[in-house]
Amino acid sequence: MNLAELKKLKDKTQRQVALREGGKKYRVIVSMGTSGIAAGAREVMTTMLDEIEKRGIDDVEVAVTGEIGLTDAEPVIRIEETSGEKTTYAKVRPEDARQIVAEHLEKGVKVEKLAVGKPKDKE
Amino acid sequence: MFEELSLHILDIAMNSLAAGARTVEVAVLESRRHDWLIVRVKDDGRGMDEATLQRVIRQPHTTKRSRKKPIGLGLALLRQTSEMCGGTFHIRSAPGKGTSVTASMRLANIDCPPVGNLTDTLVALSAHDTDVDVRLHYRTDTETFQFSSQEGRNHEPRRTKKTQRQDATASRTA
Repeated sequence: MNLAELKKLKDKTQRQVALREGGKKYRVIVSMGTSGIAAGAREVMTTMLDEIEKRGIDDVEVAVTGEIGLTDAEPVIRIEETSGEKTTYAKVRPEDARQIVAEHLEKGVKVEKLAVGKPKDKE
Repeated sequence: MFEELSLHILDIAMNSLAAGARTVEVAVLESRRHDWLIVRVKDDGRGMDEATLQRVIRQPHTTKRSRKKPIGLGLALLRQTSEMCGGTFHIRSAPGKGTSVTASMRLANIDCPPVGNLTDTLVALSAHDTDVDVRLHYRTDTETFQFSSQEGRNHEPRRTKKTQRQDATASRTA
């Protein structure tokens, strides 16, 4: 950790805050409780932010929450759409996070192999 | 156990956010000269009464009622880390008056974790609610750095003589 690194923080938060403004189509919630953090949730989140920025997707907001009760499946992220549709992804690694951004958030196609729970039409 | 102190900070500060804090102050003092690494997370959340505080210190604690097996290891983990590294651990809290968690470690101790990526920790914390002001005060023997997430939000940081001086010093050292 040094001063130069900390200076980047200002830009990063500024961009992060820009992602939180207005009603966005997607809301990404990262579980950031003790077990999530231990499993690598912070890296998953920063990877997602990085990928969202790289692809220039602006219809997404990214937020964090505490323990959600899926301790053994961490890191867990949930994507909520304005339509009310919710998708939960479990055991997300940073490279999975990139894939989720590319497919779910950019193209609107769920990444079924990482999703938990049943798809809605099969219930 | 987390491999970085910044992950402990994220974990503890998430509790502050859960307690409805509007301001979360993270202070890190890293002094090689005095052989101390001290971290404090202070918030203006709802705080805890004496009974809760005692419970928090003694055993794994969580505010989630639905859970069969409580997790609530965050504070216990930080306490373990600091005590293992020749330091101390304190919590001060009162209902309505917020909570302050302070942990210290001997930098020279072989088990002392690196500070790690504070940037990512602050980015994650700022993502919770943009109205919450997440502040960082980071000091080493030679440098001081201050940050507030509200600075990023307003795009126009509040300029005081003190911050101007610090900016000038920072640009000289950079």
